[in-house]
Amino acid sequence: MITVTINGKKIQLEKPVTILKAASMAGIKIPTLCHHEALESYGGCRLCLVEIEKMPRLQTSCTQYVADGMVVWTETERVVEARKAMLEFLLINHPLDCPYCDKAGECELQDLVVKYGPSTGRFAEGKRTHPESYDDPIIVRNMDRCILCARCVRMCDKVQCASDISITNRSSKSFVEPFSGGRYNCEYCGNCLTVCPVGAIMSRMHKHAYRPWLIEKEVDTVCSFCGVGCSVVLQVRGNSIVRAVPKTGKGLNKGLLCNRGRFGYDYVSSPVRLDSPLIRRDGKLQRATWSEAFIYIAGELKRIKETYGGSSIAGIASGRCTNEDNYVFQKFMRVVLGSNNIDSAAGFAYAPAQKFFERIFGQGVTANSIHGISNSDGILVIGGDPTSVNPVLGLQIRSAHQKNIPVVTIGYMPGLKRFATNRLIPSPFAETALLAALVSELKSKRRLSDEKAAFARDINTIIENIPPVSLNEAGDVCRISPSDINNTVDAISNMTNPSIIIGRDILQRSEGHTNLLLLAALIYLLNGRIYLLSELPNEQGLVDMGCLPDMLPGVRPLAVDSFRRRYDEFFGVEVASEPGMSIVEMIDGANSNKIKALYVMCEDIVFNIPNSRYVKEALSKSELLVVQDIFMTETAQLADVVLPSLSWAEKEGSYTNLERRMQMLKKAVDGKGMEDWQAIAEISRMLGFDMNYRSPKDVMAEIARVSPLHKDIAYDDIVGDGFMWPYKGEPLRHGMSIEGIDIPDAKSLLKISDNDKIYAGMENPLFYSENLSRNSSALSSISPEPYARIGKALATKLSIIDGDYVNISADAGSIELSARVDSDLPENIVLIPNNFGDKGIFNVMNWKINPVIKSFVLDCTEVVIKKIKSAAEEVLA
Amino acid sequence: MEKFLLKNIENPNSADIAEYIKTGGYKALSKALELKPSDIIDEVKRSGLRGRGGAGFPTGMKWAFAAADSKKPKFILCNADEGEPGTFKDRPILEKNPHLLIEGMIISGYALQAEYGYIYLRGEYPEAKDILEDAIKQAHDKGYLGDDVLGKGIRFYLHVHQGAGAYICGEETALIESLEGRRGQPRIKPPFPVNEGFLSKPTVVNNVETLANIPYIMEIGAEAYSKLGSPDCPGPKLYSVSGHVKMPGVYELPMGTTLREIIYTHCGGIRDGKKLKAVIPGGISTPILPPEKIDCPMDFVSMPKHGSMLGSGAVIVFDETVDLVKVCLRAMKFFEHESCGKCTPCREGVGWLRAIIERIYNGSGTEKDIDLLLEVSKNITGKTFCPLGDGAAGVVQGFIKDFRHEFEQHISKQVKAAA
Repeated sequence: MITVTINGKKIQLEKPVTILKAASMAGIKIPTLCHHEALESYGGCRLCLVEIEKMPRLQTSCTQYVADGMVVWTETERVVEARKAMLEFLLINHPLDCPYCDKAGECELQDLVVKYGPSTGRFAEGKRTHPESYDDPIIVRNMDRCILCARCVRMCDKVQCASDISITNRSSKSFVEPFSGGRYNCEYCGNCLTVCPVGAIMSRMHKHAYRPWLIEKEVDTVCSFCGVGCSVVLQVRGNSIVRAVPKTGKGLNKGLLCNRGRFGYDYVSSPVRLDSPLIRRDGKLQRATWSEAFIYIAGELKRIKETYGGSSIAGIASGRCTNEDNYVFQKFMRVVLGSNNIDSAAGFAYAPAQKFFERIFGQGVTANSIHGISNSDGILVIGGDPTSVNPVLGLQIRSAHQKNIPVVTIGYMPGLKRFATNRLIPSPFAETALLAALVSELKSKRRLSDEKAAFARDINTIIENIPPVSLNEAGDVCRISPSDINNTVDAISNMTNPSIIIGRDILQRSEGHTNLLLLAALIYLLNGRIYLLSELPNEQGLVDMGCLPDMLPGVRPLAVDSFRRRYDEFFGVEVASEPGMSIVEMIDGANSNKIKALYVMCEDIVFNIPNSRYVKEALSKSELLVVQDIFMTETAQLADVVLPSLSWAEKEGSYTNLERRMQMLKKAVDGKGMEDWQAIAEISRMLGFDMNYRSPKDVMAEIARVSPLHKDIAYDDIVGDGFMWPYKGEPLRHGMSIEGIDIPDAKSLLKISDNDKIYAGMENPLFYSENLSRNSSALSSISPEPYARIGKALATKLSIIDGDYVNISADAGSIELSARVDSDLPENIVLIPNNFGDKGIFNVMNWKINPVIKSFVLDCTEVVIKKIKSAAEEVLA
Repeated sequence: MEKFLLKNIENPNSADIAEYIKTGGYKALSKALELKPSDIIDEVKRSGLRGRGGAGFPTGMKWAFAAADSKKPKFILCNADEGEPGTFKDRPILEKNPHLLIEGMIISGYALQAEYGYIYLRGEYPEAKDILEDAIKQAHDKGYLGDDVLGKGIRFYLHVHQGAGAYICGEETALIESLEGRRGQPRIKPPFPVNEGFLSKPTVVNNVETLANIPYIMEIGAEAYSKLGSPDCPGPKLYSVSGHVKMPGVYELPMGTTLREIIYTHCGGIRDGKKLKAVIPGGISTPILPPEKIDCPMDFVSMPKHGSMLGSGAVIVFDETVDLVKVCLRAMKFFEHESCGKCTPCREGVGWLRAIIERIYNGSGTEKDIDLLLEVSKNITGKTFCPLGDGAAGVVQGFIKDFRHEFEQHISKQVKAAA
């Protein structure tokens, strides 16, 4: 026990902490500037100097640790004088342009000077000047105001690990700059903005648009972009969002945000938001009233149901909608329309992967805390770059790397390049051989336990029966040196409870189901914790609410009579026992006229499903297409009726993130649309089925009764950092079975891709997240140009250099893009993002359905690349 | 006194290994390798050797701290970032007697069980870089460096790393940051380099002259060494004398030689028959002394008693013709330029001091400015992150303490002119 006396107050401590920390525990405030709770101590500003008895010099309380018997004084004359002197020094080169500076009112320097500083300055010479930099589209730097606390640099280096900015120059001439000197070449997380105590680094989005004291309300809500579900505060004035800021140290993101969460909110106030229902008349979508639209939809649905039966209707739910929206939607499909054809973008990969792992390991096996990643003893990442799909989760991996935790990455992951201890980049779509080799090697290194549990015996049997693949065989198929694979085996075989992070790419292969099985084997052998990367904020909610063709709310299999009966009894309607169509089957179904009506809630299927031309053709064959959305998407353009819905900032409800944490959305501003559940309830009423919900709270009350998983959950229980799995409900821990899981044969494990062919692959860029980000002018300004990423070897072969324009063509179509050459990319693949409308990958990419797991297969598009012109020729033309 | 550090300095081929060996070079190494590493550390402790970089920390104690840390590997770094204005004492060792430094580093490396040593060389010594690298190659070829030092199964590798011209990189933790490839700024201490230094491993940083003393201690033994020079800080000392003396240069003299003896006996007194006005005894960051104080012995213990410091032993002599306000201004310009910018008082305060002195020098100062100088320097003293800011403030205080009248003359001259 350590006893320290601060200002005469005795404080008992278990272990040594800094004087600053000890003082704050005792309620004694010591002013600071360079100190920030998310960052390591720096000791630069010298504002927190204190007097320690028996020490001649004043000491900085942020760096000095307490020792037993230490006597500290924080308000002696000497300390007060020193503090005043430091503030006087800081103002020497500070412009004191508070009346004009956006930070005034929430500026730490301003507050400190008012409280502790001198009332007048004695510095008579000219100040350092540095022109304000507008080189960047969304971050403005005013280095006159910088007080060189280096918080931004430390945030960038040590927390975001992007290392894109640095202090340049020396002495009072120092300033902070990105290495380019102008535009940032970074991840635009904006966490430097969060920590800047003065107005030196600010967002251009709201420059001179507000004063901090004019903010009328702050709304604690959840980010709308990905499955991490970061806490975010929306600051509102009038009916507009002024800023999105993190809550310092709060939420699962602990005060961090990514570019999308921080800057992407501006889509809410986009001028192209839908503001009225539209009905197609004379071939054109024309404005209509809500009741006209509801009558039209109800009439058409009634007709189609009566003519062709409920199974001719399909519905697509959305991971952007709340649990309440999605619950009501699946109820509408199943109970009102009598169709099990319900799916969503979760069906592309997230839901099949989760279903597979839960079948083997039990329900909830993917519900792991994101913070556990940096506390595990090893990390294996495969199938997607977490730093672009789920950026704040990706930071956990970087943080783990800083703690010397081994990180193994399999696949092309530029965001983890500097943070992987073992980095394997197999040739395109060849991960299967690599996974099989890892399983074979681990099998011999880790003795299979002869556990009593039936499932352990089952999975042991599976693992025993997987054909062995040697390091050399895998090396040949993946074009990786066997010794690199061997080193990876060594690295992972030392892990006792690693985090296994799985992205969707690994499923979207012809051998996607085999990959899942091999991953399950690895997870079992390594005793791993599973994390599934999730691109949508409520992707898990889609699964849990039963927006799947074969699952009822609470993830209860439709095929099990007892679950179905419970559901039937509740609603007094008999639900069909036949599973419905998956999202990919629905498209084929529309194309073959099996699906007559398609109800799409906030999902842009034309844009988000490869081979856009085919999807468009299929949709136009349906007799009724209803689209609810906030924008006139490519899908909405084809619709017969369009209903404007509300964005995430305009409504209430709950989201379930990839940890299965339930969090609340709070309404910040008013919108012109209708909440999705409400529109559906109206149509339902017209079809003779009353849905009498007054608010999402009522919907949640019903969910709590219908879904065994959400048993007894109350809407008002979901507060603060949310409600963690397994809530109060009853996860299915039993009934796991390996029945019907096929053991792959040796041939399917060792498929060699043709080195002469070039394949198209999809890139998930950091600055893009589905449709919303396309409508954010801030995000679009960061990365405005479409591009194709080409491996160095291929580029050399085709004499393509960075910036050249290339034509990429395939059976589905062709596009022209500028090339980005990357030496890490394998030779026979070209990666293209999909966030650029008619310049996106889905204009050329084709797809198949994996018959086993019903997910997309995207490894089937061969492309031809031709150089068209150089960057210079483009400019001169 | 017989010269050791500057032995052979007159020989034009003194940097060649053959010449070095001819005059007994690398014998100390052979002798040291017969001892246990801990015995060498004890020997250095008993010798009383103090670090020659300026702080005068007991070398043996520093080594013992690093040796006691269980982390591995350990590193030995040579601080050859000789950047203190007026200081050029290490340069003759680096350029004329590089093998003495190399031999010292190999012995230190062995004593610390370090396999890698780095010489962090100031960027403005390009010749020294070539000379050192040639010497390292020669030592390597002769088997003094490499996989198997003198066939004893010991490994030691030595590299030269050139600095990029920052004074702050002479501060040991900033030196380490720079060596690791980062911006040269001092680190928070503790942890000290002896526990968490280069690449967070136990690291000893020693000055060139300190390391050059090691072979001498091995050669004559701690007992004999401790009897040389001042009792509390024994050994030979290099004094680099510049300014208005008849024979400026680097002098190897016993530690504790008085300033008077250095100036008048060894350097031939003030040139052109002028009178002595002031002396900066240990490099620009040590307080300036008036002629009355030049009888003090130049060592780490005596100098503080006379109001200054030994520093690097760089004696700068000013005759009666010198405008000390101009000297002070020049010094402040240096400190302002070299402030790393990490901490507030040094970054902002030193520039302010310079601005006030410049004002006085240019004739627009007022009587109040002298008090303001003292107040600003007081606000810097004891509050900076590293000693650089303290040093700068101390210089101003030193100039005003003994030469306030020179500042007043500048002010009154201008007042008169205005009248």
